Amino acid sequence: MNKYILHTLGCIVLFLLTLSSCKHGEEEYHSITNKIEAKSKNYHGTTISSESLIEGIETLKITEGEHTFLIPERKSQIKSYKCTECHNQPLSKMQSNDGLKKAHWDIKLSHADVNTMNCITCHNGDDMDNLKSLTGNTIDFNRSYKLCSQCHTNQFEDWKGGAHGKKVAGWAPPRASMTCVNCHDPHKPAFESRWPSVFNTQKAKERE
Amino acid sequence: MSDTTKKWFSLNLGNSKTTSTDTCSCGKSSGGCGSHSDYQMSNEDFDTAVDAAIGDERKKDGFDQVFDVQMDRRTAFRKLTASLLIGAGAVSSSCSVITDDKSKEKAQIDWEEQFKGNYKLMNDDEKKATVDRLVRSYQIRKGKTINMSSQNAEKDVLFGYAFNISKCQGYMDCVSACVKENNQDRNSEMQYIRIHEMKDGKGFNFNEADDNYYHEVPAEGHFYMGTQCFHCDNPPCVDVCPVQATWREEDGLVVVDYDWCVGCRYCMAACPYDGRRFNWSTPEVPEEEINKNQHYLGNRMRKKGVMEKCTFCVQRSRAGKNPACVEACPTGARIFGNLLDPNSTIRWVLENKKVFRLKEDLGTEPKFWYFMD
Repeated sequence: MNKYILHTLGCIVLFLLTLSSCKHGEEEYHSITNKIEAKSKNYHGTTISSESLIEGIETLKITEGEHTFLIPERKSQIKSYKCTECHNQPLSKMQSNDGLKKAHWDIKLSHADVNTMNCITCHNGDDMDNLKSLTGNTIDFNRSYKLCSQCHTNQFEDWKGGAHGKKVAGWAPPRASMTCVNCHDPHKPAFESRWPSVFNTQKAKERE
Repeated sequence: MSDTTKKWFSLNLGNSKTTSTDTCSCGKSSGGCGSHSDYQMSNEDFDTAVDAAIGDERKKDGFDQVFDVQMDRRTAFRKLTASLLIGAGAVSSSCSVITDDKSKEKAQIDWEEQFKGNYKLMNDDEKKATVDRLVRSYQIRKGKTINMSSQNAEKDVLFGYAFNISKCQGYMDCVSACVKENNQDRNSEMQYIRIHEMKDGKGFNFNEADDNYYHEVPAEGHFYMGTQCFHCDNPPCVDVCPVQATWREEDGLVVVDYDWCVGCRYCMAACPYDGRRFNWSTPEVPEEEINKNQHYLGNRMRKKGVMEKCTFCVQRSRAGKNPACVEACPTGARIFGNLLDPNSTIRWVLENKKVFRLKEDLGTEPKFWYFMD
């Protein structure tokens, strides 16, 4: 009988201990992951917004998979758009071999190799105002990321989630992300090697 | 500061009690008197000697060490006169009819700044008052107007940072942007961010890393990674501060009150990530290069002998902008956002990429994650 009472008492004490020892609601967490999980449960947004920061920038809203966000509008940024203002006749008639510099003479394709890509992989000689997919479907210049995502699938996944690329302005919602061509030149997408922008001379002196 | 209840300690000169009379026979209470140094000491003698030299300091604490000291009449008079002169100077410059209004105002501001409390304990009115004083003081001294904020942490915000090691190419644009944004000392070339150049195949080997390279980047066979203050959720630097001049804000930023810091550099020693910097000299920034958009806890001008560090650009991030390093990075290796927002990009990175942090086993819980493509 005595043993039984002791046992029940022990159980009650243990139960009370479990209730009191884990500092629930005291803003203390075992790890930052727990803290993030607990504190974001009742997240209803903040008063901080990026809206004023992206005010002057023309954007369009896109939805890819489960992600919806803004990207900068592109057509107004291309100086010679619309292309058909010059390309008013078929390409074959505009080409010549007289050795004079023509429009776009400075564009040298340095993207994949000649077996994989040339101009007409992305451009359509019959519809210069739009881009075209590998299967010949029309892609708007504003949504050129659809062209890139045909090959760069991993980068596309990361970009949609936000692990690849940059934001247009701030961290706060609404999300506005740069699109591929805001950082990469589509004709020469790799970043070049260059000198670092600063050099700490003090450190160099210390090391002499 | 109209509060009648004081939140911070203020000195009460009338209350110190004398307890110790341990002095050497020569009457000095500090230093050696020369009568004990001729022979090899026994243990007891050594103790007596120590007692004679620093006996008072052993028993007294804090202010008593300074104010409860035996001194002869001449020294006492000298000290009294000196402090009276300083006091009279302060009073005369603030009450005199001859000095102009500006220098009076300057003296008044300096006086109030000297005796203000810890920023951490201030209410919003007190914060605004000190920020206004600092802005006015700058105006009087330099003739230029700065914009200083005392914006508090926003609710439901916890700042986090992710760094893509595969993307960083070592261009150092982040470093130069950080120096300009945060008014860092140009003389000592203070930099909050370090970019480490590491050899492929050697992993994170900080001993062999070059964080002071100057050649074209990216260098063949190397990768780059950056470190700065990681804004730990369990920051050891905060625990060791003897005067509580550094603390973690509600939105996760670990900040420093430059006016409360005594410059002991305990935090610098406690930080396992080399995240803190010390001003060995008065920071100098050319007037035209000063970033006038400032925050009390962020990029306002520092003094000689205080700690400073990355604040995730508190003046920018609390206004919704990205820190200067994130904005400047040409490769998109830096991602910043609100950890509490389930739809934020930083949360997507943490949940979908293979992330890790430096020295996770220390339990410091840094809010700075690394990942690869």
